[in-house]
Amino acid sequence: MEENNTVKLSWYGIPAVAPYLKPYRKRVVFMVFLGILSSIIDSCYPLFNRYILNYMVPGKDLSTMPLLIVFYVAVLLFQVWDNYVTVYACGKVEMNVNRDLRNASFGHLQTLSFSYFNQNNVGYIHARVMSDSGKIGELVSWRMMDLIWAGSYVLSVVFVMLFTNLRLAFCILALVPVTVVVVILFQKKLVVLNRKIREINSKITGDINEGITGVRSIKTLVAEDKMDQDFVDDTTHMEKTSVHSARVSALFGASVTMLSSLALALVLWQGGKLTQENLMLIGTLSIFMSYALGIMEPIQNIINTISALVTIQVNIERFTRLLKTESDVADTKEVIEKYGDTFVPKKENWEPLHGDVEFKDVSFRYPDGEEFVLEHFNLKVPQGSNIAIVGETGAGKSTLVNLVCRFFEPTMGQVLIDGRDARERSQLWLHSHLGYVLQTPHLFSGTVRDNLRYGKPDATDEEIHRALKLVSAEEVVKRMDKGLDSDVGEGGGMLSTGERQLLSFARAILADPRILVLDEATSSVDTVTEKTIQDAIQTVIKGRTSFMIAHRLSTVVDADVILAVQDGKIVEQGNHRELMEKKGYYYRLFMQQYEDLAVEKAASVF
Amino acid sequence: MKFKNRRAMLWHFLKGNKRFFVLSILFSGLVSLLDLINPKIIGFTVDSVIGTEETALSPYLESLILQIGGLPYLKQHIFSIALVVLFVAFLAALCRFLFRLFNSMAAEKLIKRMRDLLYEHIIYLPFSWHNQNQTGDIIQRCTSDVEVIKNFFAEHLTNLLRVVLLIVLAVYFMSGIHVGLTVLSAAFIPVIVGYSFLFHHRIGESFRKVDIMEGQLSAVAQENLTGVRVVRAFGREAYEKDRFEEMNQKYMNTWIHLMKLLSAFWASGDLIGGLQVMLVVAVGAVLTIRGAITTGEYIAFVSYNAMLTWPVRMLGRVISEMSKAGISIDRIAYILNSPVEEDPEEPVNAPLDQDICFDHVSFSYGGESPEVLKDISFTIKAGSTVGILGGTGSGKSTLMYLLDRLYNIEPDEGKITIGGVDIAQMDRRYLREHIGMVLQEPYLFSGTVADNIAITQESTEMAEVRAAAKIAALDEAIGKFGKGYETYVGERGVTLSGGQKQRVAIAQMLIRKPEIMIFDDSLSAVDAETDAKIRKALGERTDQATVILIAHRITTLMKADNIIVLDHGRIAESGTHEELLSRNGFYRRIYDLQSPEEA
Repeated sequence: MEENNTVKLSWYGIPAVAPYLKPYRKRVVFMVFLGILSSIIDSCYPLFNRYILNYMVPGKDLSTMPLLIVFYVAVLLFQVWDNYVTVYACGKVEMNVNRDLRNASFGHLQTLSFSYFNQNNVGYIHARVMSDSGKIGELVSWRMMDLIWAGSYVLSVVFVMLFTNLRLAFCILALVPVTVVVVILFQKKLVVLNRKIREINSKITGDINEGITGVRSIKTLVAEDKMDQDFVDDTTHMEKTSVHSARVSALFGASVTMLSSLALALVLWQGGKLTQENLMLIGTLSIFMSYALGIMEPIQNIINTISALVTIQVNIERFTRLLKTESDVADTKEVIEKYGDTFVPKKENWEPLHGDVEFKDVSFRYPDGEEFVLEHFNLKVPQGSNIAIVGETGAGKSTLVNLVCRFFEPTMGQVLIDGRDARERSQLWLHSHLGYVLQTPHLFSGTVRDNLRYGKPDATDEEIHRALKLVSAEEVVKRMDKGLDSDVGEGGGMLSTGERQLLSFARAILADPRILVLDEATSSVDTVTEKTIQDAIQTVIKGRTSFMIAHRLSTVVDADVILAVQDGKIVEQGNHRELMEKKGYYYRLFMQQYEDLAVEKAASVF
Repeated sequence: MKFKNRRAMLWHFLKGNKRFFVLSILFSGLVSLLDLINPKIIGFTVDSVIGTEETALSPYLESLILQIGGLPYLKQHIFSIALVVLFVAFLAALCRFLFRLFNSMAAEKLIKRMRDLLYEHIIYLPFSWHNQNQTGDIIQRCTSDVEVIKNFFAEHLTNLLRVVLLIVLAVYFMSGIHVGLTVLSAAFIPVIVGYSFLFHHRIGESFRKVDIMEGQLSAVAQENLTGVRVVRAFGREAYEKDRFEEMNQKYMNTWIHLMKLLSAFWASGDLIGGLQVMLVVAVGAVLTIRGAITTGEYIAFVSYNAMLTWPVRMLGRVISEMSKAGISIDRIAYILNSPVEEDPEEPVNAPLDQDICFDHVSFSYGGESPEVLKDISFTIKAGSTVGILGGTGSGKSTLMYLLDRLYNIEPDEGKITIGGVDIAQMDRRYLREHIGMVLQEPYLFSGTVADNIAITQESTEMAEVRAAAKIAALDEAIGKFGKGYETYVGERGVTLSGGQKQRVAIAQMLIRKPEIMIFDDSLSAVDAETDAKIRKALGERTDQATVILIAHRITTLMKADNIIVLDHGRIAESGTHEELLSRNGFYRRIYDLQSPEEA
């Protein structure tokens, strides 16, 4: 479910992430400098051997040995320090960039509107924050360093070879283009195979997940054999593909070592003759043999890195796309100027919110929808009134609420809060005065206290207890072993749905909101708990402007205005009595739900 | 206990692919041997072909060289030596290819076998086992622990054998050149291996810490995204951002600390390695000048020494990693040693369209937990509809789990019979195939809507699928999905609402035409109108089947032939709707609560 507006980047997308390296540019320059130095030193080690073989051994002269050792140790110590600093700096850059990218994407997500979250699933967005940043961080540190190190090593070796012996240098260099072609061909094939393996692997993980989380359904459906067969099909596919990939990569490795050996054989043949004819010394032959064996691997690394760039480009594109996604509900410059933005609010300029809401000629269609679900809708909701929205499952009852909360904005027309267009004040201003209880209550992992204080971080325990009492949720907390300090578990998993529901009421009420939104909250609790919750609702909506989405109609009879929604559109509007007299859609809904009971009740009276 | 010890289990995993391991080890040995030949040839070439040293080869090789024309021939045809070098390299490459191929075949077969065994075992483990164990933990065992064991065999074990063989052979070849120099070179091996082993052993804790922190960071992001509505509605974006950034900073700092340790380790490894090379080169040079070894031997020795550097540095890590595999093996053994559901040897599979009788059933979820059901007795007449009402924790779902044998009743805690036959004597699969149970929170499998509805069927007959969906009031909703019945659902597809999931599960059950149908609060997420529609359609359909309805709504239950009210594991009252209303008990109270005030 990705967005359609793809971002295509040039230069493997590196310019797009370059700004994230900027704060660390000094360290990066230092690191690159030391890396190049290190690769040059590495390429020169064989020269020590050459000196020994060419000058010390034939002359049987040991006098320069101490000097050579001192020089070697000095170079070695410098090299060790150099590697230590480079590796550490590289790791630091990786982690710093990784952190910055994560913070940037996470922060940006906090400003995006609901339509983004409706169109992209959580798993997808989560991967953007957690894994894209990691891949990009790795790219600008280790991968870049690999490329620079290998590149400068190869260049330095080529340089030394060309200056030492042209004929032998060409023996080796002639094989370099062949190696490059071989590596590219294999690399292409391997990229495809590896992607396939990753896909099958995530399928297998999905299978395992399904087999474990769905075990109750599997057992009651007696679907064990079928599930097992599906799993074995996937693991068989995995085995075949993995072995195929291993065969290709083993052939790849063998080809590259064969090319090295070919270079070695050429050097031995040509160099042997030269040495025989006393045109060259043994030590010189020995360094060419070292280079013949040592140059192919860095070349392979260079190409590996480039092919990794192609893969990571996808991550960079997705990351850039996320940061470029603009919220379709955004405050204007003037509003931000006065009221502050999401992260730096200017609360001193905030007006109090009274609670009058008005829909003024509002037309609305969802950004991803084609049809208008509201057309020229007008409704005045004076402070303190209670609006109920009823209708079938999936009829689009949340639309109105989404507009009140400014999770979406009207396509045409205005939503007025206290007589002024909602867009004239910041989102945070509105949300800070809002209480929202969801159909599936969401608690954050942490203690009961942390959760209750979510809307009012400085609430005292006394205030908390008052809120709990108001919604009859004291029992819930009392039952937990550590009271307010008890852990609610991930997503509130330690509590039942009804308990979570009551706590989310207390949370909403603690923030003392002016506008309260309640999404039908009693679907999966038993009747006694439901009664407790309904009583709580009656308490909390007193004196507040409230919007209530309801499945069960017993809760709405007292509402000031009832809106009946059918197929996403408001078909009826009025209070219970009016709508019952109208004998329309609401009447039918109501009768359907209570027909049986009402008949029974009437019968039992007699 | 299926496996008495670690070895027994590992042996079981290796079944059927031991020969691939043997082949891969064989070829890895050949690789080491062949790799050591070329330096020898080069040394010989430098000394005797290019230089003028006496040949010092085995008599067999001497005669071989004589046959082709002796040293003078070689001196004129260095080309032929290059060809020999190339040939040896070719053999080595071939062996390396075969080693990697066999190694991967062994590894992949091993991991497949492990996964298959685990998965099969897990889905056949009793439901009680699943309830006692955390989902995340089991998944971790099936993924990362399996990976650890695979690496143990396919990477670490083969690597260990290869490196040890390489060291032994190299030391043998080197000592053929000069024993003293060999001792000098080899003396470093235990130092480097020991140092690296200790380091990796110690640092394991830091890696775990980083892993845990990454998990926490990931959880913060996950929670923020799933709770995005709450975050927005309370205007807590800034708080969330701070929380994430703080966690992110901590994670980064821990990593950087670890990086520091690692780079210090690598640098010190470089230092030790570099000093070793220096000593070997310097002493070797002195020995060459003094004539104790030839120039060619010196060159060969230095290459042997260089060949050992990396494998030896790796060895410590490999050993340290291997020592961790034991824990993973035990974690997997825990799963495989748990007993699967067992059936009586001679099951009595009596017909199920009979009376169901609960006979003094008591039940508790094992251990210290209190009794969920206390001495429950009642009979459900074949073909009748029974309603069960009860608050949260009253034991109504447990009752159904016992009927479907998701849990077993302890021998002296009563029994459930169908047509007079104890269900404990029946084949579990037989029983479940004939009992349809719709759960409150049904699970949708990844696949299309049609796949899900027909999951128990041999083949997907669209007409049947559609008929079942119609009764479950789902046909219309499916029509609105982009691809209708071919719409993908589950983890990577369209997300269905709770009510839609429940309706898919109902269709899933209807298509099986079971003798006993259980609705475990399975219309709770459906609105009243749809609920009524489904009940009406079901009423027309379920004439022959015995139906058990669990619900909170009186309207769902009131038409049942008999209603049982459960309270804290006991039957509080039972009877028809009218009987229960006149009794003025629990049922009546719920009824009043749910009735409209002014109807």
